[in-house]
Amino acid sequence: MIKWIKIALRNILKNKRRSFVTLIAIAIGFAAVSLFQGYIHNTYEGLRKSAVRGEGLGHLTIYKQGWLEKGKIDPDKYMFSQEELKRISDLVGEDEDVILATPQINISGLVSNGRTSTIFLANGVIPRDDKTIKGAWAAFRRPVKGEGLSDKKPYGVEMGEDLASHLDLKPGGYGVIMATTLDGQMNALDIEVAGTYDTGSSATNDKYMRVPFGFAQSLYDTEKADRVVVLLNDWNKTEATRERLEDTLSGAGIACKIKTWNELSLFYLKVRGMFDMIFMFIFFIVFIIVIMSVVNTMGMAVLERTREIGTLRALGLKRRGVSLLFAVEGAMLGFLGTVFGIVLNVIVWAVIRAVGPTYIPPGYSSPVPLIVNLVPQSMFFLMLFLILLSLMAAILPARRAARQNVVDALGHV
Amino acid sequence: MELIKMEEIKKDYFLGKTVVHALRGVDLIIDKGEFVAIWGPSGSGKTTLLNLIGTIDEASSGRLFIKGEEVKKLSDDRRTEFRNRSIGFIFQGFNLIPVLSALENVMLPLEIMGTPHFNVRETALKRLDEVGLSDFVEHLPDKLSGGQRQRVAIARALVTNPNLVIADEPTANLDSETSHKIIELMRGLNENEKTTFIFSTHDPRLLDQVERLVRLEDGRILNGGNEK
Repeated sequence: MIKWIKIALRNILKNKRRSFVTLIAIAIGFAAVSLFQGYIHNTYEGLRKSAVRGEGLGHLTIYKQGWLEKGKIDPDKYMFSQEELKRISDLVGEDEDVILATPQINISGLVSNGRTSTIFLANGVIPRDDKTIKGAWAAFRRPVKGEGLSDKKPYGVEMGEDLASHLDLKPGGYGVIMATTLDGQMNALDIEVAGTYDTGSSATNDKYMRVPFGFAQSLYDTEKADRVVVLLNDWNKTEATRERLEDTLSGAGIACKIKTWNELSLFYLKVRGMFDMIFMFIFFIVFIIVIMSVVNTMGMAVLERTREIGTLRALGLKRRGVSLLFAVEGAMLGFLGTVFGIVLNVIVWAVIRAVGPTYIPPGYSSPVPLIVNLVPQSMFFLMLFLILLSLMAAILPARRAARQNVVDALGHV
Repeated sequence: MELIKMEEIKKDYFLGKTVVHALRGVDLIIDKGEFVAIWGPSGSGKTTLLNLIGTIDEASSGRLFIKGEEVKKLSDDRRTEFRNRSIGFIFQGFNLIPVLSALENVMLPLEIMGTPHFNVRETALKRLDEVGLSDFVEHLPDKLSGGQRQRVAIARALVTNPNLVIADEPTANLDSETSHKIIELMRGLNENEKTTFIFSTHDPRLLDQVERLVRLEDGRILNGGNEK
């Protein structure tokens, strides 16, 4: 085998220009796919953190059975009672992978500064639990201007920057929010803008608020919650923990539905769907380029080395030996091409890190840095795939070479 | 002892709709250890005959036995293995692998055979020494003269200790002095190692060095293939 690798390598080096063009095609293809993979890897990671931490979805959200289908029509019926919340909290808290289980309630209504009013959507959270969920992410990615939510200030709310701007409210300013209670009565409460924040999306930045959980309950005049958000110690355990908790809770007689963060984050799903499609498109183009390059190079090699093939066959090399020889050469092209591709990938990655470009994605309210991750595992699998692809692409001309009549091959000029 | 036996061998080629009768019923027996020249004008069927004996081509009809085995009955793989172990080839155009050194070219048939690497190298070096090329083992073919290349080809043909060496016009691309040396070398190896040599030529100057002459003309053997 070493002999065939040696012959393959020397033949690649012998036709420097042709081999170089093929290697460059494979290298650029590898780097393009790998860099895009690194980019979407970073994007998915960011979107995951944004969903789990930023949107405050946690890793799992527990709803009462029926809430997702009929909760809007009859919310009181499909919300968790205080007793249920306590039982859920106790049962879920016992799981070794659960860091936190916290009740939340979504509210909506009108918010006013005394002169103008506009609609709002708010998430009622327990401030200290919300801080745990957001962790370092909140300060690093979307810092709150002002004090932010606090258990000590039950009427202090965080407001989307555009909403605060429309209402001409700044941290420390006052307003009023109004909504109908679960019984259908009109209710209004004073608020103090404890902080403003950028939701990251222009579609939500002029509507969203975060309010203390108790405050939200007061507005709706209820002691219930519409969900329990669960934070885990490792996002990779999301699915396994969901199955475990479903068993635990149903075993305790609590009829509920558990959703994962990625099922709830529509934005994540849409972006992922779009990037996956673009990735497949790029990958398909690279796939075609690699196949065409290798088939062309190996086809030329077979044609030029027809006499050599005849000689090898005359010396006693079997047909599969000839196929192997050219297949090894194809695989070597794939290997060397991907090695160059890795070098190219690292160079571009280093340049991006050094330059630090930013861009504003559609629907975003502020620029985000263009970050490309180096993902060794993906690079390794891509390398294996392209080597295999090059090998397969070489098989066609290799089989043609092997099938040649020995006498005809020896007489080839 | 019979090494090769041909019975009523015919070989036809098709050039478009035209049938070319390259061999028109050849009967021939070559014994082990013989040094045989196939002689005849261009187009007489010399190369076709050698290709059939070398098992790289198949007869249109007739039977060919090598070491008592009928070649037609062997599968392609078996025939290829048989060629590797029992037949050495020396080509008119040398046909060395251009990316391999002289030593690596000579090592090739043994490596195809699957001989352990150490033995391969030793045997190949010995063969190169025998053909007077021990100082050129690392040279690539394009750094060798025509005569040196043909010596490498001879060393390669002999490296597996074959029963039979087939040489198709081995001196056609060489000057007369080098041609004589090459034929002498082949003759010496034939005498010393009792390897059977069959070579084709149309150069009458080489014929005084052979012990048996098979004359071909128009696809037929003349004088029963036993001149000399």
